[in-house]
Amino acid sequence: MKALDNVDFDLREGEVHILVGENGAGKSTLAKVLLGAYKAEEGEIRFDGEVVKFNGTKDAIEKGIVAVYQEFTLIPYITVAENIFLTREFKTKLGFVDHRRMEKEAGDLLKSLNCEYINPNSFVRELSVAEQQMVEIAKALSFNPRVIVFDEPTATLSEREVNSLFEQIHRLKKENIGIIYVSHRMQEFPLIGDRITILRDGVKINTVGINDCTNEELVNMMVGRDVSQVYVRTENDHSEIALQTENLCDYKGRVKNVSITVRKGEIVGLAGLVGAGRTETAELIYGINQAKSGKIMLHGKEIHPKTPVQATKYGIGLVSEDRKKQGLALSESIAMNTVAVSLTKLFPHFFMSYKKVNEVAQTYKESLRIATTSVKKPCRDLSGGNQQKVVLAKWLSFDPDVLIFDEPTRGIDVGAKMEIYALMDRLASEGKAILMISSELPEVIGMSDRIYIMHEGRIAGEVERKEFDSEAIGAQMMLGEVAK
Amino acid sequence: MNAKKIYEDFKSSNVFYSLMGLIGLIILASIIAPNFRSLNNFITILRQASVLLVLSSGLTVVLLTGGMDLSVGATAGFVGCICAQCLKSGMPVLVCMLIGLLVGAVVGCVNGLLAGILPSFIATYGTNWVMSGLAVLVMQGAIIYDLPEGFTNISVGYHGMIPNLVIIATIVVILFWVLLSKTTYGRRIYAYGSNPTAAVYAGIPARKFMVSAFVLCSVCAGFAGMLMCARLNAADAAMGDSYGLQTVAAVVVGGTSMLGGEGGILGTVIGAMILTIIINVMNLIGVSSYAQGFVIGIVIIAMVLFDTFNKKKQARKVA
Repeated sequence: MKALDNVDFDLREGEVHILVGENGAGKSTLAKVLLGAYKAEEGEIRFDGEVVKFNGTKDAIEKGIVAVYQEFTLIPYITVAENIFLTREFKTKLGFVDHRRMEKEAGDLLKSLNCEYINPNSFVRELSVAEQQMVEIAKALSFNPRVIVFDEPTATLSEREVNSLFEQIHRLKKENIGIIYVSHRMQEFPLIGDRITILRDGVKINTVGINDCTNEELVNMMVGRDVSQVYVRTENDHSEIALQTENLCDYKGRVKNVSITVRKGEIVGLAGLVGAGRTETAELIYGINQAKSGKIMLHGKEIHPKTPVQATKYGIGLVSEDRKKQGLALSESIAMNTVAVSLTKLFPHFFMSYKKVNEVAQTYKESLRIATTSVKKPCRDLSGGNQQKVVLAKWLSFDPDVLIFDEPTRGIDVGAKMEIYALMDRLASEGKAILMISSELPEVIGMSDRIYIMHEGRIAGEVERKEFDSEAIGAQMMLGEVAK
Repeated sequence: MNAKKIYEDFKSSNVFYSLMGLIGLIILASIIAPNFRSLNNFITILRQASVLLVLSSGLTVVLLTGGMDLSVGATAGFVGCICAQCLKSGMPVLVCMLIGLLVGAVVGCVNGLLAGILPSFIATYGTNWVMSGLAVLVMQGAIIYDLPEGFTNISVGYHGMIPNLVIIATIVVILFWVLLSKTTYGRRIYAYGSNPTAAVYAGIPARKFMVSAFVLCSVCAGFAGMLMCARLNAADAAMGDSYGLQTVAAVVVGGTSMLGGEGGILGTVIGAMILTIIINVMNLIGVSSYAQGFVIGIVIIAMVLFDTFNKKKQARKVA
C-alpha cells in the first residue's frame, strides 16, 4: 500500500495550513517529503513556482523549509545556544567556538519570540517541556525559514503553554512565513488555522477553509464514516462505593487533601491542567508512590498499597499515561503484553503454555479489533492506537474492579478513540469503577458521570453530569475557582 | 507454502544469524583443519565448551533483565577455591559443593542488591575485584593439588564415550531453557528486561527479579568454578579470571541484547560453541597462542556486527 497517493497540496505565504487525518493517513509522510526526509516516487514539489528536488533535509533547509518535530531533537546536556547552532557554530578567528556570539544570537532569537526568560546559557535539561518547545522554534527560526512544519506541537504542552505557542504562530504568520500544522486536536484549528487538508489512507479527501466546515463534517471526512455519536454512555445504576480517598497527601506537596469517591459502574473524570496533581493522585492509589497522610479505601476497607504488586492484588489497575514508557514492553509480542499482568493468575503453577497465552491474546485482538496479522508480532510494530488497545487488553485480561485511565486517548486517532470510549462505557455497565484522568475537556465531559476538577494539587470542585458546563469547568481548571 | 512460512518465522527469530555464523564457521573449520571433522574432536569441543556453557547460561538471565555481571569469572574462581579448601579439610564432597553453591548464592544476592542502586556494570566490576581478592586470601597465594577422586570424577569421568562434563552442561542448559521459555518467571524476566518501568507498572516485583537473576547467575558461576577445580584436579585463585569476559562474549555473540529483553539460551549455546570452536580450530592448525587473543577479538566484533546489521535491515523491512 502507498503511504501517499497522488496528493496535491499547496501552501501560501503567511498561511497556517492544517493537515489532519487518522494515524497512518499519511500526514507525517507528506510533511517528510516536503522536508526532504523522504523522496517522492512520482510527482513534483514547486517552491516559488520553480520545481525543486530535495536529496535530504539539507536541501530543504537551504530553501528555507524547516520543521519543529513532535519529539524533541534537542540535546539535554549542552546549552540552549549550542543546541540552536549545532553543527553551524560560529567560529573565532583562531577557529575556536565563538560562545559569546552564539549566546548573543540565540538571545536575540529568543527575544524575538518573547522568551527573554530563557537563558541561552542554561542547559536544555533544566528547561520545562514548553521552554524546550520554544527553543525548538528558535532553532527553526535561526535558519531564516520561509516555511515551518509543526508536527503535533501541542501534544505535550499544557493549555497555558499552548496559548503562548499560538501567539508565536500568529506572529510568524505576520512575517509571511507559511506554516504547515499537523495535529489531532480539533479544538485548536479555529484558533490558528486558515485552511485544512484532510488525508485518509494516503489519499487527499478535501481542502477546506477553516470556517467552511463543522467539526463533525471534519471528523466524518477523516474517519470516512458517521461519528455523530463519539461519546456514548449507557445509563446504569451506581450506588455502591468502590474506591474512596480521604484527605490524601503525598510527600512532594503535589497532592493536597484529595478526597474522591468512585462508585461501581461509574466513570469519574479527573479534570485539570498538566501538573495539577492528577497523575500523582493516581500513582498514590496504585502504589507507585506512598501517601504521606490520608486514607485510601476499597469497598469500605482501608488499604495501604505500597507497590503496584499490592495494588493489583487489591484489584486496582492503572492504564498509565505514557504507553511506551510505562505501558508496554515494545520488543515483546502482543500476546505477552496482553498477559503481562494476568500471567501468574493464568498460570499459578509456574509453568506456562504459549498456546493458552496466544488464545487469550487472540480473543482480545478480536474483541478490541487490534489491527495486526498475528498476536506474536512485537508491539513496536503497531500504531499508537493499536498499542493503546494492547494496554487495555492487558488490564481487561486481568479484570480489576477499579480501573484508572490516565489520558487514555492521547495521540491516537478518532476511530480508535471511539472504540476506547465504547469499551469504557461497557466496562462501567459491567460494574467496574472507573477513574479517568484527561486533559481533553470534551472527552471528560462526554464520558464522565461526575467530574472532579483539580487545581494545584487540590480538588477545586465537583460537578454532576446534569450540571456539566464546559466553560465553567474550563475556568475552574485554569483558576481553581468557579468563574463569576 | 508452509515450509516457506516456517523459514520466514525462523529467519525472524533471534538465533537465525548467530546460527548462520556457527554453520559458516563449522564449514570453514572443516575446510582449513582436516582433523576437525572427527568424532573425537567433536567430543573434545563439547567438553571444552562445558564450563563456558554453565557460566553463560546463568549470565544470560542477567543480561535479559538488562543488567550485566562482570564478576562471573572471579566468582567461579573464588567458589572453586573455597570448595577446594573445604575438601582439603576433609569434609564430604557433597557438603563442600553445597557450601560452594551457597557462597555463589550469597555473592549473587550482594550483586543483585547493589545492582538495584548502582549500574550493575559498575557494581559487578567492583565485586569482581573483591572476589579475586578473596580468592587470593583464601588460598594464601598457594595452589592446592590432589583433590579427592570422588570430586574430580565429576569432571574427569565418562559415561560411555560422553564426558560427564558434557552431560552436566547439557542438563544445566536444558534447565535454563525451560526456566526462561516455559515458566512465568522466565517470561517476566523478558518483560522486565524489555521495559523495567512498564514491568513495575504491571505489578511485577522488580527488585525480587533483579536479585533472583543475579543469584541464578552467581550460583552457575560457583558451580562452574567447582567443575573447573575438579577438571584441573587443583585450585588456583586466578583460575576463573580468563572466563569473565569470555562468558560475556559468548552471550553477546549468541544474540542476547545488552539492553535486555531480547535473546535467550539457544543463542547463548550457539555463542559458546562459536567461541570454543574458534579456539579449537586455532589449536588444530597450530596458530600460536600469542596470536589467539587477537583472532578471537576480531571474530567477536565480526559476529556482533553481522548480527547487528541484519537486525537493522530487518527492522527497516518491518517499518
